[in-house]
Amino acid sequence: MGKQLTEMLKGVLEGIVLAILSVRPAYGYEITAWLRDQGFSDIAEGTVYALLVRIERRGLVDVEKIPSEKGPPRKVYSLNAQGHEHLDEFWETWSFLAERLGQLREGGKQP
Amino acid sequence: MSTEPNEPKSRARQYLEVVTGPLEDKRRWRQYKARIKRLPGNYRTAAEALERYLMLFGPGDSADALDMFDDLAELFERGAADGTPIREIFGEDPVQFVETFVQSYSVGRWIKRERDRFTGAIDRAAGEDTVGKDGTDQ
Repeated sequence: MGKQLTEMLKGVLEGIVLAILSVRPAYGYEITAWLRDQGFSDIAEGTVYALLVRIERRGLVDVEKIPSEKGPPRKVYSLNAQGHEHLDEFWETWSFLAERLGQLREGGKQP
Repeated sequence: MSTEPNEPKSRARQYLEVVTGPLEDKRRWRQYKARIKRLPGNYRTAAEALERYLMLFGPGDSADALDMFDDLAELFERGAADGTPIREIFGEDPVQFVETFVQSYSVGRWIKRERDRFTGAIDRAAGEDTVGKDGTDQ
């Protein structure tokens, strides 16, 4: 994954994580694995964990601890009502940005 | 997990803690250190390097800073149990991971406070003082 993609991803990763959790509850490792499968191959597990901790402390997710055979219990995160609101806001911002950038790109193509 | 957190402290203990800082915090710190010691070799090395780096940021209210170290211990315990390679935990840019991480805790707020103070100073220098004297908005 290029440096540019890493830089761009920084601003939207929280929204991506909220979007993933809006589909179904998940734990950190699953989210990282999914992102890697989707081509975000350099994504750090720690970065995803940091975002999960942050959205938990801001009350956007509910957390359930599921015991695992090895290591500490897995924390399974699910989006709560406040999280859904936050995600709606994220998508609005995203639409605005995507639309403006699209216009800029089309404008640049004109002779 | 032995003492009840809301149990009233004896007067002697209160005086002692004025000098030493809260004993609960010390106990939690020792527990964190013990967790790190139990990690397999390279996870432990990485966790200790991260701890050293975080210490440079200095203040942060200590209970919240302890939450941060507990969360980190959990990340490394989980990583070790799943066999996640160190590089996959930290990514290509470990500093970026730490910056994302500290934002959730008082250590991160301390950094943010200093950034806000700096921004405010430049606003005033530029003659655009919109921030109150106590450094807060409005």
